[in-house]
Amino acid sequence: MSVLMDVRDLTVRFALPKPSFFAERPHLEAVRQVSFQLEAGKALGIVGESGSGKTTTAMAAIRLTKAAGGQVLFEGDDLLELDDEAMRQRRRDVQLIFQDPYSSLNPRARVVDIVREPMDLMEIGTPEERHAKVEELFALVGLRPDQLNLFPHQFSGGQRQRISIARALTTNPKLLVCDEPVSALDVAIQAQILNLLAELKEKLGLSYLFISHDLGVVRHVCDEVAVMYLGKIVESGPTSALFEAPQHPYTQALLSAAPSLARRKSKGYVRPLKVSGDPPSPINPPPGCAFAERCPRAQDVCRKTPPDLVPGAGTAVACHYPGPADTI
Amino acid sequence: MSALLEIEDLRVTFRTRYGEVTALDSVSMHVNEGETLGVVGESGCGKSITALSVMGLIPSPPGKIAGGSIRLNGEELTTASPARLRAMRGPDAAMIFQEPMTSLNPVFTVGDQIAEAIMLHQKVDKAQALKDAVALLDRVGIPSPETRAKDYPHQLSGGMRQRVMIAMAVSCRPKVLIADEPTTALDVTVQAQIFDLLNEIQRDFGVAIILITHDMGAISEMADRVAVMYAGRVIEDASADDVLDYPQHPYARGLIDCIPALGRDDHRLAEIPGVVPPLHLLGQGCAFADRCAFKQDRCTREKPLLGSHGHHPVACHGIEEARL
Ligand SMILES: Nc1ncnc2c1ncn2[C@@H]1O[C@H](COP(=O)(O)OP(=O)(O)OP(=O)(O)O)[C@@H](O)[C@H]1O
Ligand SMILES: Nc1ncnc2c1ncn2[C@@H]1O[C@H](COP(=O)(O)OP(=O)(O)O)[C@@H](O)[C@H]1O
Ligand code: SF4
Ligand code: SF4
Ligand SMILES: [Mg+2]
Ligand SMILES: [Mg+2]
Repeated sequence: MSVLMDVRDLTVRFALPKPSFFAERPHLEAVRQVSFQLEAGKALGIVGESGSGKTTTAMAAIRLTKAAGGQVLFEGDDLLELDDEAMRQRRRDVQLIFQDPYSSLNPRARVVDIVREPMDLMEIGTPEERHAKVEELFALVGLRPDQLNLFPHQFSGGQRQRISIARALTTNPKLLVCDEPVSALDVAIQAQILNLLAELKEKLGLSYLFISHDLGVVRHVCDEVAVMYLGKIVESGPTSALFEAPQHPYTQALLSAAPSLARRKSKGYVRPLKVSGDPPSPINPPPGCAFAERCPRAQDVCRKTPPDLVPGAGTAVACHYPGPADTI
Repeated sequence: MSALLEIEDLRVTFRTRYGEVTALDSVSMHVNEGETLGVVGESGCGKSITALSVMGLIPSPPGKIAGGSIRLNGEELTTASPARLRAMRGPDAAMIFQEPMTSLNPVFTVGDQIAEAIMLHQKVDKAQALKDAVALLDRVGIPSPETRAKDYPHQLSGGMRQRVMIAMAVSCRPKVLIADEPTTALDVTVQAQIFDLLNEIQRDFGVAIILITHDMGAISEMADRVAVMYAGRVIEDASADDVLDYPQHPYARGLIDCIPALGRDDHRLAEIPGVVPPLHLLGQGCAFADRCAFKQDRCTREKPLLGSHGHHPVACHGIEEARL
C-alpha cells in the first residue's frame, strides 16, 4: 500500500476581529495538530459536529486555507512548502466537490463549459480533446449527451452534484475532497450519488477525503475514519473497528445519537448513552480534554491535561479513560 | 373512539405560473391522543403543506384549501374563521419549525417571548407569566433558566433555540404539537437531545405529536404510526412497525433501503432512480410510475387509491394485483 497523503501536525489559526482598539487580536485555533494518512485508492472519512474543523482541515491540507503549521506530504512533496508554479502543477491531482451543488455552479454558464473549465484553466489537451473528455465524463457520471448545453437550473440537485463530480474529474485527479457531498440531497438521491462515488473510486482508483456529519454515510463510503472534536482528532482507525468497537466516549455518543432503524419506539428503547449540552467554543478551548464538560467518564485529570492520540489495538484514541461503552 | 385530529380527503391547490396545481390530493391521516404520527417523504411531497393546513397557515392566495376536512377534537377547521384559528393556535395545536431563528423575534428576550405567548391565552399577569416561562425553560432542559430567560435568541445555540421553541409551543398545553423537521439544522448529538425531549414532553403532557421528517431512522425512534407521502398523496399509512418491517409500496421500501445504515457494510445501496415530479407535470396515473421497478400498464392510466390490499393501507396497483 502506498500512502498518497501524509498529514502531520496540521494547525490552522484564524484571526478574529479585535474587541477594542487596545486589545490584542484574538485568535481561534480551528485545527489543532491534526495528523492522518490517506492511502492511494482509499477513502478517509472525517466526521464530527458542525464547527469541529472538518472543512478547515481539508482546505488546509490542499492549501486552499493557510496553515499555521505542520506538513502535508503528497506523494512525498510537502504541499505547504511548494512554490506557486509547483503548486499549480499539483492542483490537477487534487479536486473538490462541495455540499451545495446549487451555489457552486455558475448559473449563467452552460454545463458543458462548466465541466470543461478546469481543463481550460490548466491548459490541458486540445479543444477537441477537452470536448471529448467532457462527453466521456458526462456518460461516466450518468448524464445524457443531450443535456450538455443546458444551464444548471435545468437540473435537479442530484444531477447538479453529478455535474460537479464530472467537473472535478476533468483533470484526472488522484484525490477528491468531498465536503458533505450529499448533505443537501434527499435520501433517495443521496443513495444515487453515494453509489456513483463508490463506482468511481473502484473504476478510477480515486482516493477520497470524505467529510460528513452522517455516520451511516461515512460507514458506507470510507475505509478509514477520523472523528474530530473542537479541532482535534479524538479517535481514528479502520471503519469497521471504529464503528464496531469505538473506544472514545465522544465516538460512542455520536453512534448512540444517530437515528437508527434498529431502535424502535414501540419496543420502548432508551438511548444508551446521552450527552448533554453543546461543544465548547473554539475561541477559549478548555485546558484539558475538550469533551470533559459533556463526558460521562470525566475525572479531574481530564480537565487539566489534554489527552494525546495514542494508537491502540483497533483504533487510535485521545482519551485518558478509553474503553468500550458499557451500554452501546 | 374517534381520533384527536382527523384529516380527510384534504385537497390544497396553489395558483402558479403553470396554472393551478394540486399540492395535496385527497390526503387523509389521523392522530390519536398522546401518540406520535410520523409523516415521511422526499422534499416537495406535501408534508409541510399538510401541517400548515392544520394550523390554518396556508398562504392564501396563492394557496387554498379546495376540499376535504380537518377535524380537531371534532371541530371543523377548514371552515373556521380567522379569529377562531388564531385562538386555536397555542391551546389546541402548536407548531415548531426547522429553523427556530425565523420564528423567534430577534429584539425580545426569550423569556419575554414565552411570557407573551402565555399571556395571550391565559389570564395571568406579566410577573406570573415570566415565572412560568422560567419554569418551562427549566423543563425543556435549559441550564440556569433565570439567566437564560434574559438572553436574546442570537445568544443561544441552535439546539437551545429549538428548546425555547418547544417551551413556547407547550406553554399553552396544546393537544397536538406539529414538529416540521425540527432537527434538520442541528448536529446529531443535539438532534438526539431534542428527540428525547419531545418524547419526555409527550409522556408528561400527553400531547399528540406529528413529526415531519425525511429520515426513516427518526421515524423508527419517534413514531407510533406513519403516513408516507409522495407527490401530494399519502401512499402508505400504518403503524411504524408495519411500515418499517413490511413496507408495501415500492416508494416506502425504497426510502428504507436507500439509507446507509450504521450496522451495515459495503454493498451497493438501493436507489430510487429519478426525482419527484413537479406538481404541474402530474398526469393521470401513479405519480411514482417513472421511478418504479414494478410499473404495469395500468399504473400510467389510473391513479392508485389508498386501500387495504392485505397487510395495511397502501396506494399501489402492483400490491393490489399481487393480493388478488
Ligand atoms: N406558495 C406556494 N406556491 C406554489 N406551490 C407551493 C407553495 N408552497 C408549496 N408549494 C408546493 O407544494 C408542494 C408541497 O410542498 P411542501 O412544502 O409541503 O413539501 P414538503 O414535503 O414539506 O417538502 P420539504 O421536505 O422540502 O420540506 C411542493 O411541490 C411545493 O412546491
Ligand atoms: N474564515 C474563518 N474565520 C474565522 N473562523 C473560521 C473561519 N472558517 C472557519 N472558522 C471557524 O473554525 C472552526 C472550524 O470550522 P469548519 O472547519 O468550517 O468546521 P466544520 O467543517 O467541521 O463544520 C469553527 O469554529 C469555525 O467557526
Ligand atoms: S479524556 Fe476524560 S473527559 Fe476526555 S473523553 Fe476521555 S474520559 Fe472523557
Ligand atoms: S401503482 Fe404501479 S407505478 Fe405506482 S408504485 Fe404501484 S406498481 Fe409502481
Ligand atoms: Mg464544514
Ligand atoms: Mg417541508
